[in-house]
Amino acid sequence: MDRKAALSAYIKQEIMRNPKAKLSDDEDLLSAGILDSLAILQLVAYIEDEFGIKVQDEDVVFENFQSLNTLANYLDAAK
Amino acid sequence: MFRRLLYLNGLAITGVVLFHSAGMGFVAMFSWAQRYLPATVDPMAQIGSAEYFGLRFLEQIASFAIPAFLFVSGFFIAVATGKNSQTISWKVVAARVRTLLIPYLLWTFIVMALQILLEGKRFTAGNLAIDLLIGRTNEILYFVPLLIQFYIISPVLVLFARKNWRLFLGVTAAIQLVIILLPYMVYLNLDIPNKQAIAYFVPKWFFLARIFWFSAGIVVGFHLEHFKPLFHRLRRVGVVVALASIPLGMLEWELLFRLSGETWLANRETLVDTLYALALITVVLGFQQARLPFEHGFERLGKDSYGIYLTHFLFIEYSAKVIYRVAPGLLDYQIFLQPFWIFIGLALPVAMMALLNRSPARKWYTYIFG
Repeated sequence: MDRKAALSAYIKQEIMRNPKAKLSDDEDLLSAGILDSLAILQLVAYIEDEFGIKVQDEDVVFENFQSLNTLANYLDAAK
Repeated sequence: MFRRLLYLNGLAITGVVLFHSAGMGFVAMFSWAQRYLPATVDPMAQIGSAEYFGLRFLEQIASFAIPAFLFVSGFFIAVATGKNSQTISWKVVAARVRTLLIPYLLWTFIVMALQILLEGKRFTAGNLAIDLLIGRTNEILYFVPLLIQFYIISPVLVLFARKNWRLFLGVTAAIQLVIILLPYMVYLNLDIPNKQAIAYFVPKWFFLARIFWFSAGIVVGFHLEHFKPLFHRLRRVGVVVALASIPLGMLEWELLFRLSGETWLANRETLVDTLYALALITVVLGFQQARLPFEHGFERLGKDSYGIYLTHFLFIEYSAKVIYRVAPGLLDYQIFLQPFWIFIGLALPVAMMALLNRSPARKWYTYIFG
C-alpha cells in the first residue's frame, strides 16, 4: 500500500471511524472537520511511527495537512 | 514537540478527573457529612485534617489542566491557519465548532434527562437556553462554551498574534492577571463596596477569564523558532518551579482562605496556580528528546480527552450519589473514595469509547465523543 492509501485508510479507520467513508484526495481535511487539534496530533504520531519520518514541528501547518494530496507530497519531500 | 502536545492533553484530562474527584471529596466531606458524622460534630471542623489536605493536594496538582487544554487548542489555531494565510478560515472555525457542539449538546441533554428522571429537576425554556449557552447543566460543562467562544473569535486573535505577538501576549497576560487578582479583594477581606460583584464579574465561562492561555497557544504555534529554544532552555527551571508551586499553591490558598474570613471559598485560579501551569507547560514542551513518564498512556488519554471530559463527571457524581444512599459510611474514607473515583472517571469513559469504537455504531463516534 502506498503512503497516500495508507494515510487514507488510517484517517477513515481511526479518525473518521468509518472505513467506508468517502474521502477524496483533494478533500479539505480541516474545513470538512475531519482533522481537529487532537486528530492532527494523532496523525503526526501515526506518520512518525508508521513511516519512520520525523515530522518537524515547523512542517505541521495547514499547507501540508490540508488534504491527502498535500500530505503525500509533504511526506515525499520529507523522505 | 507535537507529540508532547498530545501528552500534555493526556496529563490535562487526568488533571480534570483528579480535580473533580477531589471536588466530589469535598462535597462528601462537608455537604454530606450528616450521613456519617454524629449530628453534634461540625463538618467544617474537618478543615485542616489529613483528608482535607489530601484533597487540596489533588486540586493543586490538577490546577494546570484548563490552561493546558486551552494552550493546545490555541496551538491548533496556528496550525490550521498555516504559513500563507492572513488568518484562519471561517470554514475551519465552523467545522471545529460543529465537532465540539454536537457531542456537547448530546451530553448536556443526557445530563438534563438524568436530572429530571432521578432528581426531579425542572427546566423552563429560559433557564434551559441559559444552561446550554454557558454550560451550567453541570459545573464542569462551562469549558465547552468557553472553548467555542475562543474558536469564534480566533480569526481576530490570529490577526493580533501575527501582527505583533509580543504586545498581544503582554496585553492578554495583563488582562488575565487583572482577572486573577480581582478575587483577591474577597480573599484579603478588603473593605471595598460591592467587592463580591467586582471580584467575580468575569464568569469562568466567558473567554476573557482565560484569554492568555488560548492566545499563548496561538503565539507559540506561530513562533516556534522563538519558543522551542526558550522552552528547552527553561526546562530544568520549569521542573523546580512546578514542584515548588505545589506546596506554595496549597499554602497560598490556605492563607487566602483564612484571611478571607469566609466559611468556604470556591476554588479559583490563583497567582501560584498560573505560575505552576506555565512551568508545567514549559517542562512538557521543553524536554523534547527525553522520555517522559507513562508516555504511551498519557498520549492515549490525550487522544480521547474530549470524550473523557464530557462523560467522566457522570460516573463520579452518580457513583457518589449511590454511595450516599447505599453505604454512606464510606463517605468518611477519602483514601478509598479518591482512587475509586479517579479510576472510574478515567477507565469507564475510555471503556465506553472503546466499546462504541468496536460496535456497528462507530460511524457516529465523532457525534458522540468528538
